[in-house]
Amino acid sequence: MTKKLLMANEAFAHAALEAGVRVVAGYPGTPSSELIETVARLHAEGRAHGVHVEWSTNEKAALELLAGASYAGARCLFTCKQVGLNVASDALMSLNYVGVKGGLVLYVADDPGPISSQTEQDTRRFGDFAKVPVLDPSTPEEGFAMIKEAFELSERHGTPVIVRPTTRICHASTFFDVQDETHARPLPEEGFQKNPKWIIFPRRAYEAHDEIFNRLRMIQDEACKDGLSQFNTVIEVAPGMRFDEAARLTGSQFLARKDAEGEYSDVLEWEGTPRFDFETQDGPHVGIVAGGVSAAYVREALRHLERNQAEEGLQLPAYRFLQIGTPFPFPKELVRAFLDGLDCVVVYEELDNVLEDGLLRTMGEHGIRCQIMGSSCGLRYRGENSTKEILGSLKSFMAAFADADMAHYAHCPGDGSPLVENVDALLPVRPPVLCAGCPHRGSFYAVKRALGKREAVPCGDIGCYTLGNAAPLNAVDTCLCMGAGITMAQGFSVVESDKKQVAFVGDSTFFASGLTGIANAVYNGHDITVCVLDNATTAMTGAQPHPGTGVTLMGERRKPIDIEGVLRALGVECIVGADPLDLQGSIDAAAEAIGFEGPSAIIFRSPCVQLKKPDPVLHVKQELCTGCKKCITEIGCPAIGFSAEAQGARSKDRGQAFIDPGQCNGCGLCVQVCPFAAIQKEADHD
Amino acid sequence: MINILLVGVGGQGTVLAAKVLAQAAQSKGWQVRTAETIGMAQRGGSVVSHVRMGSEGEPVHAPLVAPETADAIIAFEPGEAVRSLPYLKKTGAVVTAKAVVQPVTAALSTKPYRTEDVIEALGAALAESGGKLEVVDAAPFLEELGNRRALNTVLLASAVARGAVPLTVDELKEAIRACVKPRFIEMNLAAVDAVADR
Ligand code: SF4
Ligand code: SF4
Repeated sequence: MTKKLLMANEAFAHAALEAGVRVVAGYPGTPSSELIETVARLHAEGRAHGVHVEWSTNEKAALELLAGASYAGARCLFTCKQVGLNVASDALMSLNYVGVKGGLVLYVADDPGPISSQTEQDTRRFGDFAKVPVLDPSTPEEGFAMIKEAFELSERHGTPVIVRPTTRICHASTFFDVQDETHARPLPEEGFQKNPKWIIFPRRAYEAHDEIFNRLRMIQDEACKDGLSQFNTVIEVAPGMRFDEAARLTGSQFLARKDAEGEYSDVLEWEGTPRFDFETQDGPHVGIVAGGVSAAYVREALRHLERNQAEEGLQLPAYRFLQIGTPFPFPKELVRAFLDGLDCVVVYEELDNVLEDGLLRTMGEHGIRCQIMGSSCGLRYRGENSTKEILGSLKSFMAAFADADMAHYAHCPGDGSPLVENVDALLPVRPPVLCAGCPHRGSFYAVKRALGKREAVPCGDIGCYTLGNAAPLNAVDTCLCMGAGITMAQGFSVVESDKKQVAFVGDSTFFASGLTGIANAVYNGHDITVCVLDNATTAMTGAQPHPGTGVTLMGERRKPIDIEGVLRALGVECIVGADPLDLQGSIDAAAEAIGFEGPSAIIFRSPCVQLKKPDPVLHVKQELCTGCKKCITEIGCPAIGFSAEAQGARSKDRGQAFIDPGQCNGCGLCVQVCPFAAIQKEADHD
Repeated sequence: MINILLVGVGGQGTVLAAKVLAQAAQSKGWQVRTAETIGMAQRGGSVVSHVRMGSEGEPVHAPLVAPETADAIIAFEPGEAVRSLPYLKKTGAVVTAKAVVQPVTAALSTKPYRTEDVIEALGAALAESGGKLEVVDAAPFLEELGNRRALNTVLLASAVARGAVPLTVDELKEAIRACVKPRFIEMNLAAVDAVADR
């Protein structure tokens, strides 16, 4: 055992390996990617024995591969981001009917905000739709325990299990005790055993549906009283008591018990811990329910509130707190016990109102009267929660529904007046941009130059090159989902045949979901030009290898799949290659492909700047720069700035461009854009 | 509770700096949580790392620093310091690199984005609120060290030297040894010394 500072995604890799996982597969996507990379690293270091880890071509490929491994008894882990589950959903929906043998855990990271995603979809809902249990951690530590428990749960019931953290969990770090070496759990001796249940026929699906229904009932029970209930915490706080103290005293567990007839008793029972003596004191009438990272925000907010109250000699009223880590199936009996005696409950969760709906359904089924305040009553239904926001909301909630005397000092963190007024006037916005020296910049620019005045709809895709939409390139007009650029361009070509349709796709995306679109263009004869921006990596998510690189996570090198060969095999007749850092060559190549009638392709090849050593930085010559700003307005490299004060022989008072040596990576594109040969290798010597 | 924000421009190395602080806090026996900006914003956008330390033995629940609760903001770019001021406690400290990093949006616009203006705004804001400001001209240090990647260590060391974070120079060095890749340890320790000896 070693204590280590780990990002949650890294820690979860350790958790899965400690649980004996044998096969790990997925597709990169923020905020999920570091998990697989950590497994690969531990494997490469010789510390994770017996594990197979891979980036699959896409999420569907990964999950299907794991289904096979699981039928043979291996413990399996799938990883992706929320939208990745859309791609794998075809497999998941039926896999749940077929069931699994070796524990199969899906690690699906949601992204409220969204911070790095195209949707705010809620995987808890997806679990409900697919009828797959979902665990939802509120801290990295809890996630660590959940990953391990998820494998047990999966095998206990033969079901896939989803662990769904959100970005603020995935990318939070803290210290973990982890094992120095791990071993994949041995495979069962009998290996894969033939059984009709592995074949999904309609009649079998009808039977399986019943099995799913029954196992979800059992899991629901476990979430209320057995092992899984460790993730559902109830804390009852007496008037004026500190929350952290109550959490420590009550041991955070209270269990709804079944009586002799197997019915849940209506009486609350606390597990070996004191319940406050409500014979003499008034019990709580209000409750707080939270899930995911919002539960951590609630705990922080309560601490602020306690301090505010104490400052004015006031105290908080009694309340009951419930944290739900098993949103699906919803722990109804536990919730029923929680609601006992409460008049009003406020619910904090991000994305969809899953917990709120669960509460309402439970109340409906049992005829419980209680008021539920959630997103349908004005709380957040999109974006992220925060300590600040929850603090403000809790305060009004307690004042209104617990009749509490709340501190007049209404100050919430963040309520103060800003230290600098009008920040927007002082600071330029700083959106993400293509890196200095990024070869995509040259590709976009060359295509634009080749198109000239010709009307076109450049269709973009998901990856770094989405950033090609920013000024001054303005080179991307659409972005939908992975691989869609190629197929959307075909739609445009059908209805706007007078325009030239150009699609941009990355190399990793090309393999993940570009191939069917290209086959479609060739088959149906759509006049589009596909620009493959081949930078030899999956750049946006942190430089993962893919089929076109030949590098695998197991450390082997295979023959890379040749993009040009694939295009040719699919029947694309005009295929040209270009080095995007060679501007004229790229413009000529683009012109050729764009001029071709019928599907054509340009492969722009140059490695991502993350992969290569920078070349010597370039400099703007003071005596030559005219201040025309072409280098800025044409290509917008972040290493090129403009100084209004700088003066030189030819710039008069227009100002001059300068290159930040801390950012320039010497790609040389700006040299080819400057009309006055003012950008050169040697610095000025004065 | 001690809350620290590390802010800058994607690629400047706030993530490693947050790790070093977390390691140092852990060595003091405090619970610690950090949170990072990972994803699109790393491509030259504004990035923020949060570091929270339970300096009184209390549990740290949330990974993010709430507004107006940061004891210190360590900024790798002064404009980003300004952007993150809503997080600063009234009496908090800002330790910032001096030089602005011009984003493409600024180069394209006709409105200048200048170091002097930003530093002036920061100074005025903190003078009014009673906070502390330390502007670090990192250029001479980086030149001396011959490595621009040392910017994060120069700033951390400045924050420690000015008492903006409750760590000693030795604790910082210890944490660097534990967190930084072996071949960069010497360079980073040299950076700490260069700042501390100033
Ligand atoms: S050579 Fe020019 S375009 Fe390339 S990174 Fe340097 S400044 Fe940017
Ligand atoms: S470097 Fe060249 S393109 Fe840029 S402003 Fe100066 S003269 Fe114009």
